[in-house]
Amino acid sequence: MTDNLKYVGRNIPLHDIRQKVTGSMKYLGDMDFGNMLYIKLVLSSIANGKVVKIDTSLAEKVPGVVKIYSFANTPSTKYSGSAWFKDENTPKTETLFSQRVRFVGDRVAAVVAENPEAAKKAAELVKVEYEEYEPVLKMEDYLNTREGKLHEEEPDYYIKEISCGNMEDALEKAYKVFSDEVETQKVHHAAMENHICIAVPHPTEGITVYSPCQIVYGVQCIVAQVLNMPLNRVRVIKVPTGGSFGGKQETVLEPVCAFIAKDLNRAVKMEFERKESILSTRTRNATKGYVKTAVDKDGHIIARDVKVILDAGAYTSGGCKVSIAAGKKSFRLYRIPNQRYKGIIVNTNTPIGGACRGYGSPQIHAITEISIDNVARSMGMDPVDFRLMNLIQPYDEDPTGAPNIGNARIIDCVQKGVSEFKWYERRKADDKGGRYKRGIGMACATHGNGYYGAYHDFTRMNLRMLNDGSLILEAGLHELGCGTIVSTAQIVAEILDVEVSKIHVTEGDTRFSPYDLGSQASRVTYVCGACAKETAKLLKELMLENASKIYKVPKESIDMKGGYIWVKGNERTKRTYGDMAAEIQKVNKTELYVSHEYESKANPGSYAAHFAEIIVDTYTGLVRVVDYLAVHDIGKAINPGFVEGQILGGVQMGIGMALYEEIKFDAKGKPINDSFAKYHMVNAPDMPRVKTLLIEEGEDYGPYGAKSIGELCTV
Amino acid sequence: MLIDFIVNGREYSIDVESDMRLIDILRYKLGLTGVKEGCGEGECGACTIIMDGEAVNSCLVMAVQARGKEIITIEGLEKNGELDPLQTAFMENGAVQCGYCTPGMIMSAKALLLKNPNPTEEEIREAIAGNICRCTGYNNIVKAVKAASNNIDGGFEEI
Repeated sequence: MTDNLKYVGRNIPLHDIRQKVTGSMKYLGDMDFGNMLYIKLVLSSIANGKVVKIDTSLAEKVPGVVKIYSFANTPSTKYSGSAWFKDENTPKTETLFSQRVRFVGDRVAAVVAENPEAAKKAAELVKVEYEEYEPVLKMEDYLNTREGKLHEEEPDYYIKEISCGNMEDALEKAYKVFSDEVETQKVHHAAMENHICIAVPHPTEGITVYSPCQIVYGVQCIVAQVLNMPLNRVRVIKVPTGGSFGGKQETVLEPVCAFIAKDLNRAVKMEFERKESILSTRTRNATKGYVKTAVDKDGHIIARDVKVILDAGAYTSGGCKVSIAAGKKSFRLYRIPNQRYKGIIVNTNTPIGGACRGYGSPQIHAITEISIDNVARSMGMDPVDFRLMNLIQPYDEDPTGAPNIGNARIIDCVQKGVSEFKWYERRKADDKGGRYKRGIGMACATHGNGYYGAYHDFTRMNLRMLNDGSLILEAGLHELGCGTIVSTAQIVAEILDVEVSKIHVTEGDTRFSPYDLGSQASRVTYVCGACAKETAKLLKELMLENASKIYKVPKESIDMKGGYIWVKGNERTKRTYGDMAAEIQKVNKTELYVSHEYESKANPGSYAAHFAEIIVDTYTGLVRVVDYLAVHDIGKAINPGFVEGQILGGVQMGIGMALYEEIKFDAKGKPINDSFAKYHMVNAPDMPRVKTLLIEEGEDYGPYGAKSIGELCTV
Repeated sequence: MLIDFIVNGREYSIDVESDMRLIDILRYKLGLTGVKEGCGEGECGACTIIMDGEAVNSCLVMAVQARGKEIITIEGLEKNGELDPLQTAFMENGAVQCGYCTPGMIMSAKALLLKNPNPTEEEIREAIAGNICRCTGYNNIVKAVKAASNNIDGGFEEI
């Protein structure tokens, strides 16, 4: 742990907060690139079938319509919108437009017009005839479906397994074995900003794609593949993001928008309405989990068998990755020597599942934590006591051989939470009678810190000090509203001892940013933050070396502090960083500029224990959360206000998933609630008081001991 | 048809079609892009403005209904470079993350404070019940509105 920190640990507001409170912030929908065309999609109105005929004759007559696209006049290149690097081994099943439509919301055609009104009007006039098949809506039906198989070249389903020890043997020797079934549903991300993309062609530079995305290099990879263009002719620029939560992580609108811009050689804008965002982007994958837990006489878990069917939706996209990511978590929370996770990934005729805050973690934890509660109850044990007996300890090895769990402080989280929440006292006071019953509950969770152990996880940053002492950190970051830009600047500020406001941190632009994997896998603070720290150290070192030539003293005799540099013991040599940077350019004929690549060295777990008090109306079944405590093992909070903000928002989303939110379908696969009028989320009156407690015991390799928070808090 | 109305203290005379929504006039004719659209059906509150003292969803108001009205949007709160106390409070209380709901949220809160300078926590929560925020979990927004109101000792530290 580092003490006496001056910038890290402070609540510094977002860099763009003034623009946000004054309404002057320009999101992509507020930008105009001049002479733009507008795209309106025609979406499949059936859940399963084939397009037999598309009649565009009426649509073409609408004044302002430029061109209409469908499978008939676009490439059939297959891709996976979830892939973020070349040749990633992920099922490629999507195309720009579908002839074989697989869900209500599948892309059938796109009308391009001179103005949005004409595009919308014409899209409504496109007549599509379908040959309709029986839809597969329940994920359990995956084995029985033969007619109208969803993807001819793909297997009926995918299986992903992870295991440790000998589960079968242990099950036989168990004192008792308990079984559970838990289902989780499809959820909409509900970022307030709908999905949007603008693509602008340029005669010599190729195509520029503006997107409020999470992975510029991932978008570039897919767009270049689908458009069959060299990577250096596809420039992707990340623009301000009005919420994402994983919903804008995968590449969805960009290939369609870029293709049309290139084909028509005009700037085009593609902006979704809410219904389209709900149906035709990504959703949280629904799951059905089966858990068998074997315990000994004292209540130690000796084995567990977890089977989870995951509904990938109509196109597999990242479904297999979500399933594996989910499965891994079940080995990193409790000490279970013998365990098997079997993930079965199936397709149904429903909207596509994909990245959604937690990437499978909320699903697996809902399944296993409900099961843990049930086992505790069956054993006659308090759910906290049962957990404490089985939770992992700091630096336990992952029994599957995955990276060590690091300084995992889940037991601290539970103990501190129990005391703060007055768990045992409240439990005794559990309400037994009347219409409204009061009760308490708690759950534990873990999430990762980047891709180390799974994929290549590294990043590069360049840092330049200018002649007035201000700095530019060139980085391929993605600010999603969480405070990535400011917290990264706080880390740099801490090393160089300059005000945070003097540091400009750039976001992703594939033409100028160094490579970065993007805002995914809870990696940004842990991996990119660590890179920023090392990069700043290198710049400091470079400045000292150069100053030593100017001062003609060894660098050990030089001090740097608060924006000033001087020879120790000689106040007269004191000058500002900026003056020294200018002097270095004039005299040493070099600039203060470093480039640094950082490779992640570990992948510890972040941990949390959440406690809730609820009131149940036993007549209606309605549940209201009235009090909430979130205890998080955060390593070190770079900006505690940002951390708290993540937790509060995560709780809002978590309560929604637990109690209110679900995208539902009728027997034909038509969505029942594809609008905010019918899709209910937690609003201000529904939101309980939430207290947050942070455990800051430091994590190796994390910048100043920091580790991830953004996804875990929804888990 | 030509309609006259006042937006952020300035008089406008604008030609509108009968099927135009007020939000589109504000965003695309007057360039007031702080007015955001999130759902187009009055459920998310991102497009909230103040019309004759009331918070309304500008996506549900037809342009012609604005005839003769006085409208305030988020852009109208800053006076001579000075932010409204609500804006400052949002900045200081962690009430903003992605920022997309923020203009509408501030306008709902502003309409409340114009009528009731000393709201209770419950009144604040009710006033912003029609504004969805997916980032902040609301509690810091409630705290900010409280901080901007006259009733500064409302016992809010527990939120």
